[in-house]
Amino acid sequence: MFSLRGLLALSLVLISLANAKSSTGNSVLVVVEPTRQGDFSIFFDGLKGQGYDLTFRAPKDEVPPIIEYDEASFAHVVVLASETKNFAKDITPQSLITLLDLKTNIIVALSTKQTPLTSLAPEFSLILPPPGTPLISYFPKRDEPASVIPISPSKHDATNILSKNLAPIWFSGIPQARGNNPLLIPILHAPSQSFASEVDGGSADALVDSAEKGGEGLWAGSQLGVVTGFQTLGGSRITWLGGADVLSDEFARKEVSKGVASGNTQFARDVAAWTFQESLVLRIDKTEHHRLNETEPQELYTTNDQLVYSIYISKYNAKKSTWEPYSGLKDLQLEFTMLDPHVRTSLPSVAGTPGKYSTSFRAPDRHGVFKFVVDYKRKGWTHLHSSTTVPVVPPRHDEYPRFLSAAWPYYAGAISTSVAFFLFSAIWLAGEVREGTKRSAKSSKVE
Amino acid sequence: MSTAYPIPSDISPVTVKNTASLLRIVALALISGAAIASRLFAVVNFESIIHEFCFRSRATRVLAAKGFYEFWNWFDPTAWYPLGRVVGGTVYPGLMVTSGVIYNILHALNLPVDIRNVCVLLAPGFSALTAWATYMFTKEMKDESAGLLAAAFIGIVPGYISRSVAGSYDNEAIAIFLLMFTFYCWIKALKQGSALFGTVAAVFYFYMVAAWGGYVFITNMIPLHALVLVLMGRYSDRLYVAYSSWYAIGTLSSMQVPFVGFQPVSTSEHMGALGVFGLLQIVAFGQLVRTHVSSQQFQKLLFGSVVATGILGAFAFIFLTYKGMIAPWTGRFYSLWDTGYAKKYIPIIASVSEHQPTAWPSFFMDLQFLIFLFPAGVILCFRELRDEHLFVIIYAVMASYFAGVMVRLMLTLTPVVCVASAIALSTLLDTYIDPTEPPVPEDVDDAASVATNGSSAGPAPKKGKKAANTSAIPGAKGVLGDILSATTPATKGAAAKPKGIFGIDARLVVILNTLMMLFFFVFHCTWVTSNAYSSPSVVLASQNPDGSQHIIDDFREAYYWLRQNTPQDAVVMSWWDYGYQIAGMADRPTLVDNNTWNNTHIATVGKAMSSSEEVAYPILRKHDVDYVLVIFGGLIGYSGDDINKFLWMVRIAQGVWPDEIQEPNYFTPQGEYRIDDRASTAMKESLMYKMSYYRFNELFGGNTGTDRVRQQQVPKVGPTLDYLDEAFTSENWIVRIYQVKKEDSLGRDLKSANHFSQGKKRKRSKPAPRRRAIV
Repeated sequence: MFSLRGLLALSLVLISLANAKSSTGNSVLVVVEPTRQGDFSIFFDGLKGQGYDLTFRAPKDEVPPIIEYDEASFAHVVVLASETKNFAKDITPQSLITLLDLKTNIIVALSTKQTPLTSLAPEFSLILPPPGTPLISYFPKRDEPASVIPISPSKHDATNILSKNLAPIWFSGIPQARGNNPLLIPILHAPSQSFASEVDGGSADALVDSAEKGGEGLWAGSQLGVVTGFQTLGGSRITWLGGADVLSDEFARKEVSKGVASGNTQFARDVAAWTFQESLVLRIDKTEHHRLNETEPQELYTTNDQLVYSIYISKYNAKKSTWEPYSGLKDLQLEFTMLDPHVRTSLPSVAGTPGKYSTSFRAPDRHGVFKFVVDYKRKGWTHLHSSTTVPVVPPRHDEYPRFLSAAWPYYAGAISTSVAFFLFSAIWLAGEVREGTKRSAKSSKVE
Repeated sequence: MSTAYPIPSDISPVTVKNTASLLRIVALALISGAAIASRLFAVVNFESIIHEFCFRSRATRVLAAKGFYEFWNWFDPTAWYPLGRVVGGTVYPGLMVTSGVIYNILHALNLPVDIRNVCVLLAPGFSALTAWATYMFTKEMKDESAGLLAAAFIGIVPGYISRSVAGSYDNEAIAIFLLMFTFYCWIKALKQGSALFGTVAAVFYFYMVAAWGGYVFITNMIPLHALVLVLMGRYSDRLYVAYSSWYAIGTLSSMQVPFVGFQPVSTSEHMGALGVFGLLQIVAFGQLVRTHVSSQQFQKLLFGSVVATGILGAFAFIFLTYKGMIAPWTGRFYSLWDTGYAKKYIPIIASVSEHQPTAWPSFFMDLQFLIFLFPAGVILCFRELRDEHLFVIIYAVMASYFAGVMVRLMLTLTPVVCVASAIALSTLLDTYIDPTEPPVPEDVDDAASVATNGSSAGPAPKKGKKAANTSAIPGAKGVLGDILSATTPATKGAAAKPKGIFGIDARLVVILNTLMMLFFFVFHCTWVTSNAYSSPSVVLASQNPDGSQHIIDDFREAYYWLRQNTPQDAVVMSWWDYGYQIAGMADRPTLVDNNTWNNTHIATVGKAMSSSEEVAYPILRKHDVDYVLVIFGGLIGYSGDDINKFLWMVRIAQGVWPDEIQEPNYFTPQGEYRIDDRASTAMKESLMYKMSYYRFNELFGGNTGTDRVRQQQVPKVGPTLDYLDEAFTSENWIVRIYQVKKEDSLGRDLKSANHFSQGKKRKRSKPAPRRRAIV
């Protein structure tokens, strides 16, 4: 027992010594053909060096299962078996989506062949070219075949995911056209001179053919992506690689030009860091709300109260494996919503307190069940969503102003009537004696 | 002296008087006992629960637990989500305050009674008070014997029991007592010209305002009575004192109820009372001037000025209404005059079964033989036509009309029917029990007719006879001997034309017949009460083949499921009929409930229910709906289900979104309302239809199922649901609860997500062209 605990402690120490690790877990399942396992050794060794536990599994193996008792067995899954047509029973397009719902992150490599994964891509609003049509480019002039293309990251690519000044990246595979799904994150675009066509079809005829077949939806140009990320609403991330080779040792070692190493190694690390929730990971630590000049939250607020709302946000630091308060968000917004936002205001960071964003506003003059909503969705970043329900009620019966200056005519009316009534009664009663004698005299006369 | 039967003559008047009053007290006590006991069927047959309107019992709990001020300021965030409801300002607090006070008194006396039992037994308790108030009222109209008859009638008449059985914790439970007592005080004030009784009437009027929206009936009845009296030239100082004290104090105090606020001076419904108040001041002034100036011309001038002032006042009223200073008549009010109005313009009012015009059989069902004694009683009122009789006549005319327009207003008709029938029946009995033989014209003492003074209600004929025997003494002038002489004129002008009843046999025939009718009345009332009005709406009862009772408890099963299995803040959407029940029994926020104050919000729910899934889903998401609840009676034949109410949802939604929801789309081309194969597309696509019949066929093992309410076969291929998941279906399928799915994590619409997870292939798509083709 003690030894086990000691072992556990030791492993914890070891993990903390590691270079960087994910915020969601270190277990990685790699689905790859055993024959090709050696082709990606640089990528795998890099992951191991960062502290990940890699488990390899051939596509047709039954064990280890990716989902067991409705729980994901691994924190991350890499599917590099891009050309495999028959996977084991538990790896289906449906099960991969279930995996994403179970907060697992996935890297998927595509190929020019028609595989089960090809039918998965449309679910992510990715449109793939017909089978057997890789990305081809004849520029720049080089010795390699036309389907092996060096791509230098441009400013349109995901600059927050990729490292700066990345050397050109060797790529071979298929491009993806992107639908208008806002959850898609283009990581690397195809070069503008490239197009998707059959490999041998360098001929003009093939081009014309594909143009006719595809109409104007020609698979060409820089609008196509070659590596595309996707972040689900649940927060899990998936990266689509146009071809598995972009991670391979061969491309990593291949020089782009004389003496200049390719950017593939770094690119692979960047993509893995993003996909495995190391970079651009945020979380909401806590939210608080209270009335101005108070500190404790109320169960309910009154209309027109001056409210203060604060949110504390941390960013994951993969190097130290810690969460650190983060004040870098410039465009955070707060909405005070009942059916529609009644108040929408910016939520600036507070100077003295790192990670704290706070704002003050007047509650609308409308009672109902309101929500403080912070909904921060930016490409690449973790989606932040926080919703706090709080009723806003009309003033209590004794909270209304008591004496209104506008009501003075009524006060005056009431007071004057009372005084007049009092005077009238007093005079009437005082005059009773004389009147009474007269009256009695009269009445006696009548009788 | 010739009498039909021997009368003892050696009893002192004091003994007679004392015996009669003792008998009256005993009779009233027995009537109260009968009134309470006959309302306990529901508790005996089922259990001690609140039948409907759980909201009020919930509010009472808040009141009992937190005190009056917290109740006044109570904002209920779970009702009308997300609008919330300001309960203190939108509720008539009388009922809750009454039971809260009773609860506190009982606890102060160290009687630890549960607040629920106070609520359950409040209505029977107040029905005993109603019987007493009716006795007092009728006593003013005729005499004590009529009063006792009226009390007995109102105690057991089904028209009143329908709203006051044990467990029906509704405003009407206390309102009818207040209504009758206010009227009694008004009559008393009018008779005596008493400011005290006028003030008491105002205080009870205030209580009534705090208790029931139907107070407007009093607000208009009393001024109408006063107006008729003035127009008939019956103005008197008594009327002036009674009306002024009632109106001034009543109006000021009614404005203290938060829900009413400034309505008494700003809405059209209350303007009649104000107008009559003004008119009375003018008339009183005119009278004053007339006593001082005796010139004929001056009186004419005065009359002219009164008319001119009246016309001016009417014009001012119209002008103020036009300028918006006075709120115009509300839709509910219009629907009283034009029964088709509500259906056209305010379907939400017309959709309530209580607001439908009354069917003729229900008059007999609710009132039995009183309904044909009623006109006789009204005609008898004309014979004497004192001021208070005029009141009964006006009340009878107004209430009859309103009861014909709306089932619900049967309740206001019932008291006057009891009063008038009691007058008629009592006159009949007086005439026939009177032992005086007509051919002896000389010394017929009116006192003989007083014999019936102490005769109690019909069911106690022996007592009546005994009283008759004991009181037939010369000189024993009864309290209301003069009334009787007026109502039995046969004894007077007998000299000219001998009219009347001869012999005991003729008397017996009529009296026994009357007794039989009374017995049948009692049987009828008991039967109706036990069968029709004593079942809680949340528990249904049916008969097993062997005749034993089978309780169908689906509603509570489902509500407890919600309570146990869903998060505390899960919002439940249902049609508004079930809002209070869900809030009360399941303790979950609801979108709409029985307090139908926001038509648009209800129409939103109606739209969600009557549109297709794709259209409904954004509405559900916007309102944070987690569960949708529908009532489906097709399996066991429960006809009050949502499919039968569905057209009202469509109509109410159409009122707000006429472009998107159209009622004709839900009918077949032949104009039929069907749910089978021939149902229209809009019908089959609607969320309500899908939720009702989802997986219905599976219950029949692959055969097509039959809907037992509509008597139609459901389509072979049942509806499918993409945006909702079935979460719960109760034992008899009456309540079905669906969970609203979360948005797809990949941003797809749920329909295609479902297609994908079922393994269907998506059509291959191409990238969207960015340039136009060059041809």
